Amino acid sequence: MTANHAVERTLGVGILGAGPVTQAIHLPPLARLRNLLTVRHIMDVDAAVAESVAARVGATHSTSIEALLGDPEVDVVAICSPHQFHAEQVIAACRAGKKAVLCEKPFAWNAEEAAEISAVSQETRVPIIVGAMHTFDPGWLAAEANWGDLPETAHTIRSSIVLPPNARFEDFATEIITRPASGTPDYTDAEVIKGMLRGGIMGLAIHDLPLVRRFTPDFALVEVLEARIVRPFGYIISLRTPTRTIELRAAMNNTWKPEWSFEAFSDDAAVRIDFTPSYVQAGSATATFSRAGETTVHGPFDHNGYEGEWRELAALAAWAKQPPSPQNLIDDLTFALDIAEATAAAVDADHKVGQPVREGAHA
Amino acid sequence: MSPQYTVHATPEARDAGAVDLAVASLPASFGPAEAGSAADVAVLPGQPGWTAEAARAIDGGARGIVVVNPAPESVSDLLEAAETNGSAVVLDQRWASNPAVPGAEDAVRAMAGRAAVLDSVATAPAGTGSGELLADHLAAVVRLTGHLENLRVVASGAHGYTVSGRLANGAPAALQGVLSSARPAGVSISMLTDDGGVNVTLPDPLAAWPATVKATGPQGELLLPTLYESAHRATWRRLKEHLDAGTSPSDLHRFAALTASLSALS
Repeated sequence: MTANHAVERTLGVGILGAGPVTQAIHLPPLARLRNLLTVRHIMDVDAAVAESVAARVGATHSTSIEALLGDPEVDVVAICSPHQFHAEQVIAACRAGKKAVLCEKPFAWNAEEAAEISAVSQETRVPIIVGAMHTFDPGWLAAEANWGDLPETAHTIRSSIVLPPNARFEDFATEIITRPASGTPDYTDAEVIKGMLRGGIMGLAIHDLPLVRRFTPDFALVEVLEARIVRPFGYIISLRTPTRTIELRAAMNNTWKPEWSFEAFSDDAAVRIDFTPSYVQAGSATATFSRAGETTVHGPFDHNGYEGEWRELAALAAWAKQPPSPQNLIDDLTFALDIAEATAAAVDADHKVGQPVREGAHA
Repeated sequence: MSPQYTVHATPEARDAGAVDLAVASLPASFGPAEAGSAADVAVLPGQPGWTAEAARAIDGGARGIVVVNPAPESVSDLLEAAETNGSAVVLDQRWASNPAVPGAEDAVRAMAGRAAVLDSVATAPAGTGSGELLADHLAAVVRLTGHLENLRVVASGAHGYTVSGRLANGAPAALQGVLSSARPAGVSISMLTDDGGVNVTLPDPLAAWPATVKATGPQGELLLPTLYESAHRATWRRLKEHLDAGTSPSDLHRFAALTASLSALS
């Protein structure tokens, strides 16, 4: 097997950060897209990890962002580093004159950072996409092509996520090195509850909040009605805008049986999208439309949203597609940040910090 | 061969409870009473005031009472009348009377002590009253889980509601009602534990669509046998069993607890 065959015809990929996300999420779909993309450079602050992961794909490795961005073999950059580095690395990749950038979510920590990134993207004309993989899932895209006026007429939206620990599905995708350690939180501490809810929104709900936002034209007016945690990690969050009811559910436990669905209802139509779990190469979501006595199903298709992200990135780098609106990315981020902030505020409003929090009590 | 028990149903109850079909499907047990003669079983619609109607039917000699879609109200006087006269009162509830419910209840109760969360969604056609849907919804949920604590309406409006509560072990519970004509009405109830859970879907009794009850654990998933019987027919079968055995159904006791919960919510 020759890892770098057809080098002349493919775009060179550089990846910042070589942890489980890179190993299990990005390298498998890239292996299916060798006619479009070739991994040329892997960077990680841990030299041994960078070397090991790069060796799997026959790429160069380094421990510095400058080395990767200065590598002329790298045309497009994926940013898979810890969240706090995303903004500065996206900007650096744009300034380095790369052809396109894929940044894992969230791509910034506040609206100001997001606006700065957007400005740099427009100035350098380097398109950016955020790794909200469900928005690139062929099942979602098929739904989008068929949902008619449902985003305007929907009154109720649900996102429900039941997942085993990531490790179960990472192991279906690859052989992981360097897994982060985890501990047991103190569920009686209100600060812990706030942290869990924030983490749940920015780490889990954020996957589908861009989908929710598509069905919520008045998303800027979102308010948190109730937020509770689910042990060991998860949430029940009730939101509303003047025109929408939004319910978010998530539970990460030790079950083998995942469920990841998005639903929207109007008075006379509904769509349910069932996504495949993260990490596994199990094809796309399936979209099911229901309209009084009639059911239509779209999908499943043979690839998932992660592969969809890379196909999109390749098309953007080749100028074969219009780049996404930067405002969309900013709006997606601020929608998630607003919910995370309002959720924490709701916890503060209902519990004096430091007082024990009853499990199942509303926050 | 004459049927074992004769039946008289009000026109409203006949429609609401699909009484003709249910009785016709149990021809050895039930049959219509002749005009002018007293019936063994009286069937009543569950509109407000149904408890007084039922008590009058018992006074009139009915040995069995079927109440279709009972509205929440105090049942204490009816309970006394039924016990005094040895009459059996069964409630034909939209989802709680589905024949899959006893099996689902066992599955849920077996895991309830380890529950991490309960999430339930009920759907009904647009235009249905939120309160009406919530009554049916809560009846189905508490039939499986037992009493829910700290019940609270988080939101309620023309398109549905969200109600929060807690299971007996403290785990959070959420009940959402969605008013939309897009899908057939029904309720889904999902209780998760750390390593599995129970998922129940209950259809409307318009047809003998089977409910699904799935119990998931580390070894896999068990689908309980599918029962092609509507909640209406299952109610009539239960009535026959009680009439044959001379036993008292627990329907009214359970309904009293449900009514108390709904009162606390309103």
